This record gives sequence, C-alpha cells and structure tokens, in this order.
Amino acid sequence: MRSAKGHGFEELNGTMVDLRSVVEGRFAASMTAPERFFEVSADRLAEACLAMARQFHRGGRLFAFGNGSSATDAQHVAVEFVHPVITGKRALPALALSGEGADPNDAFIRQLETLAGPEDIAMGFSADGGCANVRETLEFARKSGMLTIVFAGREEGDCTFGAEFAFVVPCNDPLVLQEVHEMAYHVLWELVHVFFEHRGLLETNAPPQASASAETGRDGRGAGED
Amino acid sequence: MSESPETAPEFERFLYPFLGEEESVPLERALAEVRESTRMKCRETVGLRRELLALYTDDLITAARSVADAFTEGRRLFAFGNGGSATDAADIVADLLHPPRFRPERAGGEGPRRALPALDLSHDVATVTAIANDVGFENVFVRQLIAFGRVGDVALGISTSGNSPNIVAAFRTAKRVGMITLALAGYDGGRCAELAREGTVDHLFVVPSSHIPRIQEAQATIYHTLWDLVHRILESSEEKR
Repeated sequence: MRSAKGHGFEELNGTMVDLRSVVEGRFAASMTAPERFFEVSADRLAEACLAMARQFHRGGRLFAFGNGSSATDAQHVAVEFVHPVITGKRALPALALSGEGADPNDAFIRQLETLAGPEDIAMGFSADGGCANVRETLEFARKSGMLTIVFAGREEGDCTFGAEFAFVVPCNDPLVLQEVHEMAYHVLWELVHVFFEHRGLLETNAPPQASASAETGRDGRGAGED
Repeated sequence: MSESPETAPEFERFLYPFLGEEESVPLERALAEVRESTRMKCRETVGLRRELLALYTDDLITAARSVADAFTEGRRLFAFGNGGSATDAADIVADLLHPPRFRPERAGGEGPRRALPALDLSHDVATVTAIANDVGFENVFVRQLIAFGRVGDVALGISTSGNSPNIVAAFRTAKRVGMITLALAGYDGGRCAELAREGTVDHLFVVPSSHIPRIQEAQATIYHTLWDLVHRILESSEEKR
C-alpha cells in the first residue's frame, strides 16, 4: 500500500524519494546477491571448509584481518570459532589481528611474521577494493605456506589477492557485499565442524579434489605433520 | 595434533545423517553434503529477509525518521551488543563514522554520504573491563550510557536472543535518560519484546528464527537499510533548507 507524503516519501531535489522503494531495493539486492554467490561458490566453500579443518587438525590457528568495517568481520569470524554459539561445537583457535602498530600499513604482516606458521590459516577481508595491506599480508602468508582465504569484491583487475580461496562477490554495493561475506564466513565456520567427524579425511594429504588441485598449488604441504 | 571427535548433537545428525559414523566416508560424499548445506543456509537467510521486508518496511521508515531527526538535532548514536552482535554494533558505527563509498556513485548525482556521530560501546577495552570487574558485566553499557547519553540521543542494542541482561539494562537506562531506543533481536524478541510493549524500546525488529548465524545475517540487512534510509532522509531535509 503506497501512502501519501509523510508516510514513505521524502522530498529531494524537488522530486519525491520513495522511501519504501529504498527499502525494497535494498532487500532485493540482499536476497539476489547471496543467491547468485552461493550458486557459483558452493564447491569452493565446501573445499575451503575441508582445507580449514585440515589446518586446525594439524594444530593450526585462524588469523583474520581487515580494515575499517571489514575489521569487524575479522572479529566476528574469530569469535565464532573461539566461542561457538552452537552447543556441542568445539572451540577452535582464531584471532582477529589488530590494525594498530607502529606503522599501521604493515601491522597485519608484522603480527603474522611473529605469530603464524605454515599450519595456520590467513583470512583477509577487503570489501572496498584497494587494501594494499590485506593483499601484502596474504602474499606473505602464502609464501610462508599458510592456507590463504580472502573475501573481496568490487575490485577491478585481480580481486583474488593471490589467495588459494578467493571469495569475490561481484557487487557494487559495499553493504550488500559485506552481508554476503558474513553469510559465507558463517557457513565456513558451521561446516568446518562437519569434517571433524571424519578424521580419515583430515589426515589425508590429498588435495580437496584431484581435479581442482592445479589451482591450489599446495602440493606436499602437510606431509608427515600429523 | 589429534583430538577425539565429539558426539554430534541430535539436530546435526538430522541435518548430516552420516555424522558420528565411525567408518570412513568418501571425500566426494562429504563435500557434496557440505556443498548442499551451504545452499540450504543461504536459502534460509534469503527467506528471512523476505519475511522481514513484509513485516517491517513501514517500521524501518518510521525508525529511520526518528534517528535522522536526532542527528539533525545534533544528537549521537550509541550501539552495543555482545559477541558477534558487538561486531555488528561496531560495524554500524564504522558505517556511520566512515561512510562506505559506492562505486560507481549512486544514480542521481548524489555525492558521498556524510559522516554521522556514533559510538561503539564495546570499543574501549579499559572501560569495558573496568566496569565488568568493578560492578559486573550487566552494567558495561549502562555505565557508559550514564556517562555519554543525553536526552534525544539514540541507543541501538543488538541481541540475537533479545534476553542479554546487559542489553536489557542498557535500554532501561537509555529510556530513563530520555534517549530513543532501537532493538534488534531474534527468536520471538525475548525480553526486548517485553521492553517494547512497556515503551522502554521504541523500535523493535525481530528476526523470526532460532538460528543465531541466520539471525545475525538478517539483522545486518536491517541496520544497513536503516543506514541508507537515514541518509536519504537527511539529504532530502538538507535540500529543503
């Protein structure tokens, strides 16, 4: 039911802005963007769950990082793993890296250099493109043999940040983009636990899928470490 | 490092029938199950968003008007929550203080959004731990609202259960101070629903679900929509002047 002025319309530049259509437009984007993303990314999400479970199984930890509002996603994913809201799920070691340091530009890298090893997981968030520090940190993590995951979007050119698992949401709206990221990392957290029920799968050194191994570039990692 | 697998709760056995089976499961079967599960979870959240749109379109506009009015009057917004909801509170404060850029800029020649005064009540770890240690965790937000809050400011509390004692206490204090109160909750709204009935909470948005991750995902759409509406309303009132 469209109502009169004062009940859903505001005047802007002499034209009426329909606030109801603002709400409808935002919700529509928040429904179609994730549907598209999950349709395309379900395979890689499942493989990422397995890869993360294998890292946790060999004693690894999750390090999450991002700038600005993405920093809140890093903290959100960390608390999910450390203090699961679903009874019966085990606590897993996860830390949100602080963006503060002597030089904020290399704060994330410095922390990983000191704290992390090849058994760990580096998870970067870059919702608004650029984020040189996230890119550099992921490059460092990959060179150090860590499992690398990035949640990105909107970037022109390479949005994978060189990460093994790049979840890129093709969407121009930074708010919707972030909502899709949240859904994706919640799912990773919820489903990593499924693989703890299958220790045989955790201890194998086989890549998640033989057919997908070419792009993972992780051959031999983890050998003899369990 | 190896740890013994934990017993799968009943509902997980239901969702993932092979959980808890000791014999080995083929990799492809496990991956297929997880793959389907990701899509199921997505459908659940999308369904919740569809419900919220039907339930709350008008309420969102009403709430956004009162928040926009508060900003116009020079008031501030305080956001608070626990755990993942604390990061959601921090997120909306980040969006208000440092408005994200839209690329390309939105149609209609509108410029970037202006920064709006907001505070995240979980941010200051010294304050939070001092209050928790000295007077209890129930008061971590109450104490700060007493210090910062003024008549006409906005208190935005986020709780998936709607029952968090420190959130409930914060709303009572906020209302006593004379603030505008907004609550985001899940399940059936819990104690926040009672607070709304008694007039302590002015604007209540309940995500009708008992799955915490899904509640949070749907709540994000609510506060992002509020953010957008508040800016649209402020822009239109600036134009009128």
